[in-house]
Amino acid sequence: MDESLIITETERNQEWRAELRKNLKNKDRTAIPRVKMPEVDPQIRNKSFIEVNDGLSEDIAIREAQRCLDCVDPTCISGCPVGINIPKFIKKIESKDFAEAIKTLKETNVLPAVCGRVCPQEVQCEKQCFYTQKLKKQPVAIGYLERFAADYERKNGLASTPEISESNGIKVAVVGSGPAGLTCACDLAKMGYDVTVFEALHEIGGVLKYGIPEFRLPNEIIDFEINQLKKIGIKFIPNFIVGKTISFDDLKAQGFVSFFVGSGAGLPNFMNIPGENFVGIFSSNEYLTRVNLMGAAKPDYDTPVISGKNVAVIGGGNTAIDSVRTAKRLGAERAMIIYRRSKEEMPARVEEVKHAEEEGIEFFMLSNPIQYFADEKGRVKQMKIQKMILGEPDASGRRRPVPQEGSEYIVDVDTVVVSVGVSPNPLIAQVLKDINISKWGTIVVDENKMQSSIEDIFAGGDIVRGGATVILAMGDGRKASVAMHEYIQQKVKQNIK
Amino acid sequence: MINFNSIDDVLNFAIAEEQAAIDLYTLLAEKAVNPAVRKTFEDFIQEETRHRDKLSQMKEGKKFTLQPSEVQEMKISDYTLTIKPSPDMTYADALLYAMNKEKAAFKLYTHLAARTAAPELKKIFLLLAQEESNHKLHFEIEYDDHVLNED
Repeated sequence: MDESLIITETERNQEWRAELRKNLKNKDRTAIPRVKMPEVDPQIRNKSFIEVNDGLSEDIAIREAQRCLDCVDPTCISGCPVGINIPKFIKKIESKDFAEAIKTLKETNVLPAVCGRVCPQEVQCEKQCFYTQKLKKQPVAIGYLERFAADYERKNGLASTPEISESNGIKVAVVGSGPAGLTCACDLAKMGYDVTVFEALHEIGGVLKYGIPEFRLPNEIIDFEINQLKKIGIKFIPNFIVGKTISFDDLKAQGFVSFFVGSGAGLPNFMNIPGENFVGIFSSNEYLTRVNLMGAAKPDYDTPVISGKNVAVIGGGNTAIDSVRTAKRLGAERAMIIYRRSKEEMPARVEEVKHAEEEGIEFFMLSNPIQYFADEKGRVKQMKIQKMILGEPDASGRRRPVPQEGSEYIVDVDTVVVSVGVSPNPLIAQVLKDINISKWGTIVVDENKMQSSIEDIFAGGDIVRGGATVILAMGDGRKASVAMHEYIQQKVKQNIK
Repeated sequence: MINFNSIDDVLNFAIAEEQAAIDLYTLLAEKAVNPAVRKTFEDFIQEETRHRDKLSQMKEGKKFTLQPSEVQEMKISDYTLTIKPSPDMTYADALLYAMNKEKAAFKLYTHLAARTAAPELKKIFLLLAQEESNHKLHFEIEYDDHVLNED
């Protein structure tokens, strides 16, 4: 039996857990309806950047925790890329021991307040929940409870720094301060390494900061988590582009023995259609970075984005939804999603689509832009949209969008945000000539170790996956930290011999 | 003006077209900066070589294996701009370039089929057009899955 499963079962048999199970019958637990997340009124929130979800109160969180059946075989854990001991933290909430709940979360997750907000639990842990799998009922709200525990810790000044081993004095570098980099940095620091995180932008947090708007993930939440990491000795250096500001070889000369590259996928894809270079057409990366990190929505900042009245966002993912909801908050009269497929195929989270609909976002489904038109100053003023139909499923089972001839129509727009995917920043491939790069520009790694073709360089997150969730990136960071430790230990042993 | 008087004329033309594609992709592979994109062009060369050899076998009297069937059309190359090949092309650029090239070949064979009165030549042209359409779809699916991935 897997060692972690034995631990989980032993913990389940502890007296306090057995007592909880005895106190409320499963029949009564399953009769409790799933909690609804309290939200700010759509007509208020669509004019400001305040967080949409309010979070759960203590009483409601405990009630939701009671729904968890504390299964003998907790399948939910298998759905979590970092293997959080989900039943344990939920049962700690049920027993009102919130400090222990967050401690349990932090054993495997360095960013619980973030994951509780932005992880797609519905396709991960909650999808594997007994309620979903066997009872065909709504799963336990694992994500909401994770957020509750993390927020409780922060609001009540209970924050504790993780335990760290004695310093071994070995310097390691983490390139990029997104979820993969932060997780790797934390795990290495806990092992006693001297960790420095280099960040290209002026703020720490990577895509969590520049890519996710405040109304979904407030920056103060990220800053709080980062401060916890600073307290365990991790050094953060912003405005520093490894490969430009200084080379990998220079860092090696400064004593860094191994590197984790988590530099993300910051290169936006465009559609390569006529007129895409007109003024007023942004990538979602630029649009969101300007608003999230550069104060573009604030009149006293020097780098504004024009608050378009008719804003079209191209794409159907979470980034597209974030962009269109941002446009609405900046004053757009019409904020529109233009998506090639139907609602069922949208990669965005169902919750985010629901929020967007409530806030007055218009959805143009099975629609594809094929050309932009500009005024005499070169500023976009209209777009030509073609209607699509979904073809028969191909060999992969996917229904492809097929244009309908003669279905084209014109829509007035003054701002367009293109959100059709991202690619890795090509800088790493340009400066590390010997590193193995895929045709998509991602770093090729050994999946078990996250080790690249250059032995002292490990990588994870979007630079490897091309585009993934926060929690998958964190899982990569965790895996890499273990492999980096093994690699460094072997190297040290070789040097001693 | 190209004149086609026999099936051999058609096949010679098609073989020369495939060879021209092989030569072009060879040049692009040699110049590509990104090793992975170079590998992509090398894959294209192999694919085009297979097409050329298939046509040569037809010419030698072997049976033409293509069956007429409807090829699904995504038409991505209908609304995207033409890419000019360059040494620093990305894989996405290479796909756009290749799908536009296949589209041009499809149009050529369709046009030739329309201009041809002889039924056996018309059939060959339409089958060649279908083959090119299949190739274009292959690149479009790759582009659809990995470039226009919406998030």
